[in-house]
Amino acid sequence: MKNKLTFWIITSVLSIIVIYALVSTVLMPVLTKNPLPKAILRTTDDKEKSSKIDNKEIKDEANTDSNVSSNSKEDKMKYFELRKKEVLLHSRLELANEDSMYLVLDLTNNTAFLEMKGVMLHECKIVESTVSNSIKMYHTEALLNWIAEPFMVKHVEATIPKIEYIEKIAPKDSIEANKISAEPAAAKRGDVFIVMDFDRNLRLVISQSELPDDEGKKIISVMKRKYQEIEVRRSLQSLIKFNREPAMPQINIVVSKSDATIFYKSLPVRPKMVLQM
Amino acid sequence: MEIEEKNKRPFLNVIIWIIPVLLFCVFSLMILFTPAFQNSAYKVKSLFTGFQASEETANDGIEKLAIRSQRNINIIESKLNNLKPVKPYIVVNTTENRFSLRNANGDTVRTGGCSTGKNEVLIAGKKRILFKTPKGMFTVLNKQENRPWIKPDWAFIEDGLPIPSARSASRIDYNTLGDYALSIGDGYMLHGTLYQRFLGLPVTHGCVRLGDKDLDVIYHTLSKGSKVFIY
Repeated sequence: MKNKLTFWIITSVLSIIVIYALVSTVLMPVLTKNPLPKAILRTTDDKEKSSKIDNKEIKDEANTDSNVSSNSKEDKMKYFELRKKEVLLHSRLELANEDSMYLVLDLTNNTAFLEMKGVMLHECKIVESTVSNSIKMYHTEALLNWIAEPFMVKHVEATIPKIEYIEKIAPKDSIEANKISAEPAAAKRGDVFIVMDFDRNLRLVISQSELPDDEGKKIISVMKRKYQEIEVRRSLQSLIKFNREPAMPQINIVVSKSDATIFYKSLPVRPKMVLQM
Repeated sequence: MEIEEKNKRPFLNVIIWIIPVLLFCVFSLMILFTPAFQNSAYKVKSLFTGFQASEETANDGIEKLAIRSQRNINIIESKLNNLKPVKPYIVVNTTENRFSLRNANGDTVRTGGCSTGKNEVLIAGKKRILFKTPKGMFTVLNKQENRPWIKPDWAFIEDGLPIPSARSASRIDYNTLGDYALSIGDGYMLHGTLYQRFLGLPVTHGCVRLGDKDLDVIYHTLSKGSKVFIY
């Protein structure tokens, strides 16, 4: 009798926990289209205020927007493509007005650019790119809001140093100086694996297309494991707090080792990025 | 009958514990795989095949919104183009130690190897002197042929020599900078080199060293005010 009671108590408690976990972590995000943290999307009217060009004409157009017309699916798609292009160009312009280098990730053409003042400094082909399954759930307008403003890095971690300095003690005399001077050699490049956490919960993972050496494999796997642990902890915390966090979409790109190194070393400490997808 | 019941009890006892344990395993697996489920990545192209418009947008008169959007795109594109250099410019890659000379349209007209900063800290007593090429956008401030190099203090410290007075003749070196030098400010220059074999390696004290032929083309393509991008 006692055993039976214990059985039912334990089974019921665990069943409730399992149902809760299932609902909060799997069903709810799917049913409610787990929201992406929104950027403040500037309306065209806001831009009109900041832009002196064509101000009058645009305002006139805006006044007539309330007119309802029948719209085909193709028109809607065309408009969304235009709107997307507009917000992305606006982001690029915003970053081009700053004095820093920034990253432009174009997933539609599988290319990544390093830009400054609107000038493309370095272009690289993305060998392979994947985006989170969770993005699938978002309505187009939510996605548009999400990519509307430039993403700013909150935290970066990489297997290579950003700046590598060699320290040299000044020689006491010319004899010592002659002994020190040696033929320079190109520095050995370590294997690259970069994780960039941006605002609005975006995570960008940059891997190299070349196979890493044994040492590189170890370092990369340690870093990957660390991030997996963080994800599990995040999941556990959201379960305990009974608070579903916004999704954390991840973009994985594979580029050549040299390109990955160039991007990481050239970008400022807190780089910004425009995402085109 | 009694024997049968006794045989059934251990079986029931096992079942009693197997079910909660199984449930616990399912629960743990769910926690482990939820992040993987939500954030696992698939091919990009399969995701963005079609776009939908919400009801609100559909009611807004899409044709007119599209015209307005296109107009804004044109405005932003022209603003972006206005930011681009109007003169030929040079882009220097310090990681690969390569340069690319571009015309006003942004087309590459010449590429080649160069030498940039060696990223070294020279420690002389309390002094720490950093040899690195700065990154960012610079402007050609002046151009000079056969410019002599006025050696700064660190040049003597690095060679283990006593530092001469500021106006000492030993500070003047006529060969080091090559045929041409383009100053980009703060003592940094694009200039020639005696050590052509080191082109493509990070060996300089911060300046950008170029090969003789490349320097000749760059000197005659860039003018005062041309932009120099270093990344």
